Amino acid sequence: MLCDDCGKKPATIFFKEVLPEKVVELHLCESCAQKRGLLMTKKMSPIEILQKLLKERNAKDEKVICPVCYLSLAEFKRVGRFGCSNCVRAFKPHIKNLVKQIHQSDKHVGRKPQPGDKKGFEILKLREELKKALTQEAYEEAAKIRDKLKSFGVDSVE
Amino acid sequence: MLNNIKWLVPSGANGHLSGEDNEIVLSSRIRIARNLRDLPFEIKLKPKDSLRLIKLSRSVLEEKMKGRYLDIVKMSPLEKESLLECHLISPVFLKMNRPAGLFITESGNISIMINEEDHLRIQGLTYGLKLTDISNDVFAVEEKIGEDLEFAFDETYGYLTSCPTNLGTGLRASVLLHLPGLVFSNEAEKVLKGAVQIGMAVRGLYGEGSEIKGSLFQISNQHTLGVKEEDSIQTITRLTHMIMDIEKKARDVIFEKARHEFEDKIFRSLALLKSARIISTDEVLNLLSAVRFGIGVGIIKDITLATVNEIMIVSRPANIQLYFGEILEEHERDIKRAEYIRKRLGGG
Repeated sequence: MLCDDCGKKPATIFFKEVLPEKVVELHLCESCAQKRGLLMTKKMSPIEILQKLLKERNAKDEKVICPVCYLSLAEFKRVGRFGCSNCVRAFKPHIKNLVKQIHQSDKHVGRKPQPGDKKGFEILKLREELKKALTQEAYEEAAKIRDKLKSFGVDSVE
Repeated sequence: MLNNIKWLVPSGANGHLSGEDNEIVLSSRIRIARNLRDLPFEIKLKPKDSLRLIKLSRSVLEEKMKGRYLDIVKMSPLEKESLLECHLISPVFLKMNRPAGLFITESGNISIMINEEDHLRIQGLTYGLKLTDISNDVFAVEEKIGEDLEFAFDETYGYLTSCPTNLGTGLRASVLLHLPGLVFSNEAEKVLKGAVQIGMAVRGLYGEGSEIKGSLFQISNQHTLGVKEEDSIQTITRLTHMIMDIEKKARDVIFEKARHEFEDKIFRSLALLKSARIISTDEVLNLLSAVRFGIGVGIIKDITLATVNEIMIVSRPANIQLYFGEILEEHERDIKRAEYIRKRLGGG
């Protein structure tokens, strides 16, 4: 079979698209398929897609700012990295398309965090506060912090 | 601390290393990216918070599991290079110039990078095609950490990561494949292009940007959102089985066409390894590829895959220096490397 487009070279690529009103079938040679943009010369990786999409800048990007870490959308587009766990929320309407194009999906379907008391960070902070209270000789405050730490079942010292 | 090379040969290296899986699939690797909800991510993390992150992660890890903690800042460039050669840290981690830590569990096959691009990068590495097994170990560690620490998580975007390309599961599953049959029959490119078309990444031995050497290819998933962890793992596992089949067929064809030529190449490679007095890392990789091939097709019987794997890792530039306990220039390394390999293979 010869190529539908040039009618010269043998058709090696069979293309079928089902549209609501009709079914399109094409038999093409490689170079004609290439011309129609049906063959991707190289599939873009997620990183490449990200880098391409980050170039789509907008004057308003400077004004979209994450209220937690103060990263602006403009800065996000420069570095391609989020600044904290709140950035995704702060930028959501602006990054929806970007995320979808990178992953070909816009919804997480995998694992979720398991339950637990998750007191690790709080304990760290209390220990830091305790240290500060002791250096400032605020013993009453220090005693309160110690009690709190005890209620978590941990020592006041590391 | 030159003699400190406990991490050089990971556990399991001397265990059961036989069968086609272990010859074609050198290793299976799983890594997951996790960040703590309450600390800024990499680009906004101040030095003080870096220290808090490390202190906190270290205390939780040491409380929850047995293992050893390495302070990356206190390590020599040579030791860090060695960790990279052993695939325990990433190239990014090696080049970073800020406080960072590495925790290696007692079993030796799980390592946790603290303060890489994400707060925590939990990685599991094992021999052969065992992605599901190693992922179970990785998630067991992750769950233990998750009891004490709140991970950054969003119902829509899953586990939140520094880079948008890791959002969702934050999971990268990869296999390291030895495909001499496909390379010799010039089919490697075609097969691997197919892998790329279905959304996989194909790289060389040391990940992104590294060259393809010794017929070794790394295949990994690229998408982390909208796909379940076990499905990413299944896809790579199935694809690996398919590639293994094609590789085996290519080998049969090669041997039918030119058996003597290939046997000659394999035994000459082994003879070179057993006799060389000066040898470079790249030459070792290529010769070992032929020897591995020989073991795979059953014509080399007195050398085990465990030995081949050990030589592959220990003969790397930093590792060979740690092995001999001395700093060596490139030329001296090539001499010492040849000496070590001769000893290991019982050469003359």
